[in-house]
Amino acid sequence: MKRFKLLFPAIALALCVCVYTAASVLAKEPQAQTHAEKVFNAQTFTLDNGLQVVVVENHSVPVVTQMVWYRVGAADETPGKSGIAHFLEHLMFKGQSYPGLGEIGPGEFSKIIRSLGGNDNAFTSQDYTAYFQSISSEHLETIMRMEAGRMRGLKLPKEEVESERKVILEERRQRIDNDPRAQFGEQLDEVLFPNHPYGTPVIGWFHEMEGLTWEDATGFYQRWYAPNNAFLIICGDVTVDQVRKLAQKTYGLIPRVEVPKRSRTVSPPFIARSAVKMTHPVVREPVFQREYRVPSARQSHDDALALQVLEEIMDGGPTSRLYKSLVVDNKIASAVNLSYMSSAWDDATISLSGRAMAGYTPEQVEAAIDDQLRILIKDGITDQELNEAILRLQAEAIYARDSVTGPAMIIGYTLVTGSPLDDLEYWPQHIEKVTAQQVQDVAARYLDPDAPTPTPYVEGYLYPPPPQTENAEDQP
Amino acid sequence: MRQTYLLPLFVFALAFFAYFPVFAKDASSKSFLNIQEVQSPGGLSAWLVEDHSVPVISMEFGFKDAGSKLDALEKQGLTQLASNTLDEGAGDLDSQAFQGELQNLSINLRFNSGRDHFSGSLKTLTRNKARAFELLSFALTQPRFDAEPLGRMRIANQSRIKGSMSEPDWIASRLQFDKIFEGHPYSQNSGGTLSTLEALTADDLRGFMKRLGRNNLRVSVAGDITPEELGQVLDSVFGSLPDASVPAPKPGALSNAGKTFLYVKDVPQTVIEMAQPGISRKDPDYQTSQVMNFILGSSGFGSRLTEEVREKRGLTYGIYSYFMDYEEIQVFHVSTSTATASVNEVIELIRGEWKKMIETDVSAKELADAKSYLVGSLPLSLTSTDKVAGLLLSLQMDDLPKDYLDVRQKQIEEVTIADVRRVAQKLLKSETFTTVLVGKNEGISDADIIEHLPNVE
Repeated sequence: MKRFKLLFPAIALALCVCVYTAASVLAKEPQAQTHAEKVFNAQTFTLDNGLQVVVVENHSVPVVTQMVWYRVGAADETPGKSGIAHFLEHLMFKGQSYPGLGEIGPGEFSKIIRSLGGNDNAFTSQDYTAYFQSISSEHLETIMRMEAGRMRGLKLPKEEVESERKVILEERRQRIDNDPRAQFGEQLDEVLFPNHPYGTPVIGWFHEMEGLTWEDATGFYQRWYAPNNAFLIICGDVTVDQVRKLAQKTYGLIPRVEVPKRSRTVSPPFIARSAVKMTHPVVREPVFQREYRVPSARQSHDDALALQVLEEIMDGGPTSRLYKSLVVDNKIASAVNLSYMSSAWDDATISLSGRAMAGYTPEQVEAAIDDQLRILIKDGITDQELNEAILRLQAEAIYARDSVTGPAMIIGYTLVTGSPLDDLEYWPQHIEKVTAQQVQDVAARYLDPDAPTPTPYVEGYLYPPPPQTENAEDQP
Repeated sequence: MRQTYLLPLFVFALAFFAYFPVFAKDASSKSFLNIQEVQSPGGLSAWLVEDHSVPVISMEFGFKDAGSKLDALEKQGLTQLASNTLDEGAGDLDSQAFQGELQNLSINLRFNSGRDHFSGSLKTLTRNKARAFELLSFALTQPRFDAEPLGRMRIANQSRIKGSMSEPDWIASRLQFDKIFEGHPYSQNSGGTLSTLEALTADDLRGFMKRLGRNNLRVSVAGDITPEELGQVLDSVFGSLPDASVPAPKPGALSNAGKTFLYVKDVPQTVIEMAQPGISRKDPDYQTSQVMNFILGSSGFGSRLTEEVREKRGLTYGIYSYFMDYEEIQVFHVSTSTATASVNEVIELIRGEWKKMIETDVSAKELADAKSYLVGSLPLSLTSTDKVAGLLLSLQMDDLPKDYLDVRQKQIEEVTIADVRRVAQKLLKSETFTTVLVGKNEGISDADIIEHLPNVE
């Protein structure tokens, strides 16, 4: 599957099993026709302590997946403590104890899951932190007890912090500091989000990560981790009734906790246009990259749908507008990309980039991309382009059902970034209503290179080093 | 993420991927996976797992021994370029027309260049299956290799290489292949070099097509299709292929045992790749070796390597050991990365774990946990139709029987502590490690310094 446009960021995950079967739910539902139109047929209820539970039944295999999503991420950190959300995610495996939910020693959590034949992992983003396991359905109660046990029961030994901090510093070296393109991307985000926490990398700035403490981690945990600030997704060989009983027995033991209201600083208006320029000795081909701030699905459902269609038309494959013009016909770029990441609590981003062919500069790539944007804004799209794009997007919703990680992950991204479940369930019907005019409008509103007031975007130019001598081209 | 993304996909390829759409709820039923062997009227065969729950069909097909090991030194990247251009125009359809149909019908068609085998995958919605199979047939029997897409794919590959040259882990992997397989075609750059790609022509690609025949073809399918229909499809897609003549694999051996190579790069973290001889999937001790490696280093948290290097000392974000069983040479790898100052410490820790595994028995709990995971996690891999088909194809490419997964489960259950010790003593030879480092030249002794990355430019 290429990508599920609604909410499917490219995050590689370990095994997570959840496969949809229409029949299982339809048989019980009087309004089968209505439900047949839904993508996943998820069912949901909420415990007294505020924990929302979402269940997707699938009885074809004796397997379940559990995911707990906390509505807190790196963008909720205190300034100066960057990386604490992610550091805490690591430390959540370092010991727990809670009345009625048992006790687990440091480092034992994953080992217990493995010894039961299961897999587990976790991940952190700007807006959320999620933990998950996949396992034989006979062990569902065990993993629900374990996951519930660390919701308020983390018992973090101080001596675990030191070595795990070294691990996250190694993680940062591996992901960012060893890779000039990752460093470039980090710098672009920093400029795109002035005075907004999205400008700070999820993993944290190295110099701040070095100073993160036990108190920082446990303080962040106590403040944000609570049943009423999380939701639970169970997919697989279990019924909603079973999940309700088990959830009450486990997560139900945890009282509601007062959680701070999410409060984030806001960027000032964009008055000057920013550009990030970076030259690095290992870069061989110049890259142009532009990052826009655009509405997320939570901020504007309609704009998000129109931007998804726009993305599909501009960069939905080898015959889409940007690739055909820059790479196939005019040979200015060797690669070009436009991607819209709609799942964010605050502003979403559109990333536009091109790698220059030999003999072209990133500025020329930029000019060619801008020409395509002007054509889109001036002439709009044809009905044929619109209809083909919609059909392709709807096909992705079918493919999404034939996927392990698909349903649980997509439902998680949707809910955690503030969209209702039905936006996902009826996404194919919603996308079908997008008009050519709407696509042209969002292009003009958010992507116009000639807009009189600067739209919120930043441009980046990544250059190879200049030739060292005049005869540089003769060198090997 | 808490766990490293270093973990290569193929590590768990066999151990964890399986699919059970027709999972046996009946306890008396013996087989996890209901694999049907389909014979076409024209004499072709395929393995099928029928699953009509989602209107999707996945087909995976492979041509045995047609991979990049057959590329001549001066034509490195030929197989890769073929995989990129086979879907860039066929029959009456030029590149844009062919790609336009794939795109608008949401058909995913890909070709993959392996060192041993050449393979491909097709995934389609049921409603578009007829055209999907037709386009695949065009690609395999009437590819155009027009100049425009050929040039474009050449450049895309060169661009990929230039981008990879900034990545320490890519550099380490390139260097490792060059050294451990020295003198064997596996040592070449299967993705091509900047200059060999420049010289490849449409005639080279037409020559490549002679490797794809009905005699070395294997096909696996999962999803929304019946055996009867699949039989017809096999003939219409693959029926007109001629027989291919590809050389039979011949066993080889690893080179540069005991040596260390350093590629100097100014990065804060050094990539460490170590390799020693591995074990074939057909070896009677293969399952025992998987159990041993689960305890040693394949399992992440709980594995001895992760416990010693990451959990106790915080020296890395990820450390894994894994087998790579090519047809002609099998390898056992360790992959990790650590800050410049800790390189020697990490290498010593790895050697220490080798020694411990050879000299002492694993505990009963370690063995039980490993078996429980390896057996119990099999149903977890109920992933998707393409993964089912992919797993079936991997069994076929290795000439394994249809009941392999059931046999595997049983063999794992039977492994004893003494078996693990015996296989560790037979397999683990830290003195034969070929070590490749990419990072700063600080504190490293006895390493050959590599100035130029081979087979890249």
